Amino acid sequence: MIRVEQLDKRYGSFHAVRQISFEVRKGEVVGLLGPNGAGKTTTMRILCGCIGATSGRALIDGKDVLEDPRGVKRRIGYLPEVPPLYPNMTVRDYVRFAATIKEVDDVNAAADRAIGRVGLSDVGHRVIEHLSKGFRQRVGLAQALVHDPDVLVLDEPTSGLDPAQRVEIRELLRELAAGDRTVILSTHVLGEVEAVAERVVVIHQGRVVASDRIADLAHAGAARLRISRPGAEASAAIAAVSGVSALHDEGGGLYRVEAAADVSDKEALRAAIARAAVDFGLLELGAAEGLEDAYLRLTSGSGPDPRDGGRPASPSPQTES
Amino acid sequence: MRATLAIARRELHQYFETPMGWLCLCGFVLITGLFFALMTTDYSIQAGQAAMSPYGGQDINVNDWLIQPFFSNTAVILLLLCPALSMRLFAEDRRQRSMELLLSSPLNSAQIVLGKYLGALGFLAVLLFGTLHTALILYWLGDPDPGILASNYLGTFLLAASFLAVGMLTSAFTDSQVVALVISFGLLLGLWILSWADSLAPSTWGGVLAHISMLSHMEQMSKGLLHLEDVAYYLSFIGFALFATWQRVEAWRWQ
Repeated sequence: MIRVEQLDKRYGSFHAVRQISFEVRKGEVVGLLGPNGAGKTTTMRILCGCIGATSGRALIDGKDVLEDPRGVKRRIGYLPEVPPLYPNMTVRDYVRFAATIKEVDDVNAAADRAIGRVGLSDVGHRVIEHLSKGFRQRVGLAQALVHDPDVLVLDEPTSGLDPAQRVEIRELLRELAAGDRTVILSTHVLGEVEAVAERVVVIHQGRVVASDRIADLAHAGAARLRISRPGAEASAAIAAVSGVSALHDEGGGLYRVEAAADVSDKEALRAAIARAAVDFGLLELGAAEGLEDAYLRLTSGSGPDPRDGGRPASPSPQTES
Repeated sequence: MRATLAIARRELHQYFETPMGWLCLCGFVLITGLFFALMTTDYSIQAGQAAMSPYGGQDINVNDWLIQPFFSNTAVILLLLCPALSMRLFAEDRRQRSMELLLSSPLNSAQIVLGKYLGALGFLAVLLFGTLHTALILYWLGDPDPGILASNYLGTFLLAASFLAVGMLTSAFTDSQVVALVISFGLLLGLWILSWADSLAPSTWGGVLAHISMLSHMEQMSKGLLHLEDVAYYLSFIGFALFATWQRVEAWRWQ
């Protein structure tokens, strides 16, 4: 549904996005993850046709935003980081305005539907300026939904909201994602991605450093262990355990073990690893890293983690199938 | 087309949603009304004196002595006012980030520019509508030439429409309304006083510069003489400013 190919964007000498490629299938909910300034917003703005890329393409359903801007934009709903509101309009007038410029046929019906959808029916007559931040975020969502787009692009939809509002928006997003709608949302709140998305694309310093299903990304490392007598012999013994696909020596006797893709019983694997490591003075054996660990590992330092053999710079094989 | 008009309608509404719009409208109607009252008083004194003068007062008439100076004063007020009306057109959208709604909608840049400009023209029409009472009073008390009134209205509208086009262009270059205001006012003032060039430096260049001036093209129209050349000047001036604004909006997408 969405296909980003070798996208590159420079602002003068600043290289905001470097050769980003990823793909989102129809009906999928994908989280765009990365620290501030990683290039998430730039990528989304290019996707929605707000700005042009320096090179590369962004395709929606096989069509380039630049070749057919009107056709493509009619199918995308975009909620920027700061909702693009006109503060002194009423909610209803604003959503109707959005419906009109998005070339909806029945403006009033579409506006009422979108307002109802985001739960703003009671405040439709109120001036946007006087609404709380959470409500304003909903008005922004109504604007993105009003033309019933196939693709929703949401830039940090819960930023700056209090926890209760955040949960509400998250619920709303889950409802919106149900069905055939394809959703890309960016965030740096990891819990949000885990709650809503099925897959994440991690961007760091303008590059894609990982693109995986959350479950795979979070549990790529099957175990973390520390032994008192590290060495080549120890490494070989642990790597030889069936189900271990890779072993990373992190120094100081610390090892990170990656499980092969077909291993389902991580507990059994850890038991086997423990038996092998016990001969080398096993000190600690931790369970798999969470999404947070994976995220921190991927976004620390400059550029892709060399320990991962440079692989994550391009989308991982699992997602290209 | 529907989308363009929706933008125009929103822009027009915006003027009435803010104190700025009402301030401009009320101020304009008040000041033009005040000018008109003072000028009518002055005119009636002059006409009375001329009637008693043994040298005759045939030359004094409403058209030349009242309508013309009134509209040239109105033009000066509009010169001061228009930058304040046009400053928000793009600067505000960029500042409050609502530009992204327009950019991510299936609109092209020309529709955005045209819509915003039409909205500003709509407000200008409301402003000029607020001076119509002066014409009614003239008809009630005197016998003005409808042709002169009409061509003065047209000329003033075209002149102010040019002001707004310049203002919109400067507004597209900054996200600060104050900067847009100052720059467009400076530009308009520059274009205005170019007409002095002819008298200050009576040469070919002075003539050319005077020709570019916005003011010099009003002269004939204020006398009720509608020349195609003058109308074409204003229309091409507006066209150029709109084109430049359109290019500027296009450039945002590519910078």
